[in-house]
Amino acid sequence: MSGSSSQYQQLEKLGEGTYATVYKGRNRTTGELVALKEINLDSEEGTPSTAIREISLMKELKHENVVSLYDVIHTENKLNLVFEHMDKDLKKYMDSRGDHGALDYATIKSFMHQLLQGIAFCHDNRVLHRDLKPQNLLINNKGQLKLGDFGLARAFGIPVNTFSNEVVTLWYRAPDVLLGSRTYSTSIDMWSAGCIMAEMYTGRPLFPGTTNEDQLQKIFRLMGTPNERTWPNISQLPNYRSNFPVYATQDLHAILPQIDPLGLDLLCSMLQLRPENRLSARDALKHPWFAEYNTPRRAPQGLDMSMHPSTGLMGPPQLPSTYGM
Amino acid sequence: MSPAESTICSAKQLRASRLEEIERRQVEKMEDEYKDEIAAHQKVMEMATVLDVNMMDLQPELEWHMRPYLLDFLVESHLSLRLQPQTLFLAVNLIDRYCSRRVVFKKHYQLVGCAALWIAAKYEDKKDRVPTVRELKIMCCDAYEEDMFVQMEGHVLSTLEWNIGHPTVDTFLKQILQCNCYPSLEHLALYLCEISLFHKSFLGFPPSVIASAAHIVAQHLLMNRTGVFTHVSPATSPDISHCVSLLSQYILHPPSQSLQKKYSSSVFSQVALILQDFVVRQQHSVSALPPTPPPSSESPVPQQFDRNTVMIDAFRESAAYITPPCSPDEACPAAYQELPTPC
Repeated sequence: MSGSSSQYQQLEKLGEGTYATVYKGRNRTTGELVALKEINLDSEEGTPSTAIREISLMKELKHENVVSLYDVIHTENKLNLVFEHMDKDLKKYMDSRGDHGALDYATIKSFMHQLLQGIAFCHDNRVLHRDLKPQNLLINNKGQLKLGDFGLARAFGIPVNTFSNEVVTLWYRAPDVLLGSRTYSTSIDMWSAGCIMAEMYTGRPLFPGTTNEDQLQKIFRLMGTPNERTWPNISQLPNYRSNFPVYATQDLHAILPQIDPLGLDLLCSMLQLRPENRLSARDALKHPWFAEYNTPRRAPQGLDMSMHPSTGLMGPPQLPSTYGM
Repeated sequence: MSPAESTICSAKQLRASRLEEIERRQVEKMEDEYKDEIAAHQKVMEMATVLDVNMMDLQPELEWHMRPYLLDFLVESHLSLRLQPQTLFLAVNLIDRYCSRRVVFKKHYQLVGCAALWIAAKYEDKKDRVPTVRELKIMCCDAYEEDMFVQMEGHVLSTLEWNIGHPTVDTFLKQILQCNCYPSLEHLALYLCEISLFHKSFLGFPPSVIASAAHIVAQHLLMNRTGVFTHVSPATSPDISHCVSLLSQYILHPPSQSLQKKYSSSVFSQVALILQDFVVRQQHSVSALPPTPPPSSESPVPQQFDRNTVMIDAFRESAAYITPPCSPDEACPAAYQELPTPC
């Protein structure tokens, strides 16, 4: 990890974040495409904490569903992170490939399986991503999905520390975090995964809130307003109000008519309001919805078919009659 | 405060403590689920961030006796900046790893220490607690220019190849103690862990071993004093037994002034006094014993921690250990100067 920046040719700008600009780049010796994340070093702040956490965590995380960090180039006033090149993010992919943003069944299943594998791997390595959203999930033309942008990621120990609750883009933020809980853990990423799954079906964000309050209302309108009976001790959370509008739980099937019963079951297990009831990534991967990925001699990664809409939609698979594998 | 105000205040406190209790229970489920994976990952990271003491011996300018002075400075800076406990352990690991890879001039030793503390704080602490470069400069009494901190930070990060995820001693200690323990046990064990930072002999031990040993010795010290603990966890590996016996020796030395001061405060249950008491009582009981021949240099490592023999043996052997000289090298800069008191 000690390349020089001249080793890479900087091509067009791909995006701009709060603390970095991302360019497409090319390795001058191998011709390989890369993504160059350029971080300006401030003479006061030195290396930003986001960069220190992102780089050190990504060096530990080598997995096919996590974007690879190839190199770190440190110059006097800049830091260049060289990542593996991915074609687009899930948001752009949905906009370009989907039907008004909605994706087909096989693609959704393949992407969800890969997303959950990436999350499970991070959690096993005591890393919380904390900012899962379609813009941070990267897709390549082999149909692979990888977790990117670990700028907000954090290592957690056991016992879990208390963290700031200013994490995760509002729309994908878990209700417990919105209510002010600070010891959230792996379940925070699972809520985001549920929101992303629903978004792949409809092409639209599931809970597009504008403020903390509005976000909670949008969640409660669909999932029902929790109370002391459905969520013991909820009234102790700092942002809880006894005058929340009371909504009954809606049937998710009404807004996601395309979803099959098993898929709906998985989705509901991830969108549990109470964090302790939310499915873990590992258990989600064992869910019967993924039955075809869990039988031996099938390659789950990069379902090529899903990338060619011309082959038509794959129908739902035969549903297993029992829940277990 | 009016009675009404105090009622509101205590209601708030009650609410906060209930919230903590709820959050703790929420986390328990997750902890249980990921315990094994995380333990496995910690083992890997323990090995990946281990340091090479022999390489540190090769430093042309640095001497081992300088290290405690740097650590004193770090303990005080860490305390005055109110950083997380793990930040101190991480910073010391970064310094030692850096010094086992690159030549460090005497005049830059404190700069390396500050850069390491800066990195550790950025990794572990909330943004508003991370010191500014100006604060670092003041802490070093203007010995270095501001841009030198930024430069050194970059050197440390690239030399360590950005491997910052060192599992710190206190993480393991928290796992051993869980949530339900006496604050004095937790603070005493943490004190012992920080004492271990100061001695070369502990650099070869993985942090998990030091945490277990500190827990055992702390239990023992408290049992001796208060009789509250009737059970001392046994050492579960020869490594831990070895570390327990070393720690029992080193606690008989006067600890670093800054550590002693830090742990004399009520925030840390004044555990420094518990240790001090123990040392005094040990000295009395040992002086009453008949003289014994000096122990052989290859004394066997006790497999089981036995308070009666190990503590006394430890004391006998302690005469063989030399404490760092009191007067620092004149050429060494600000590390020894008075630190500004925290505002």
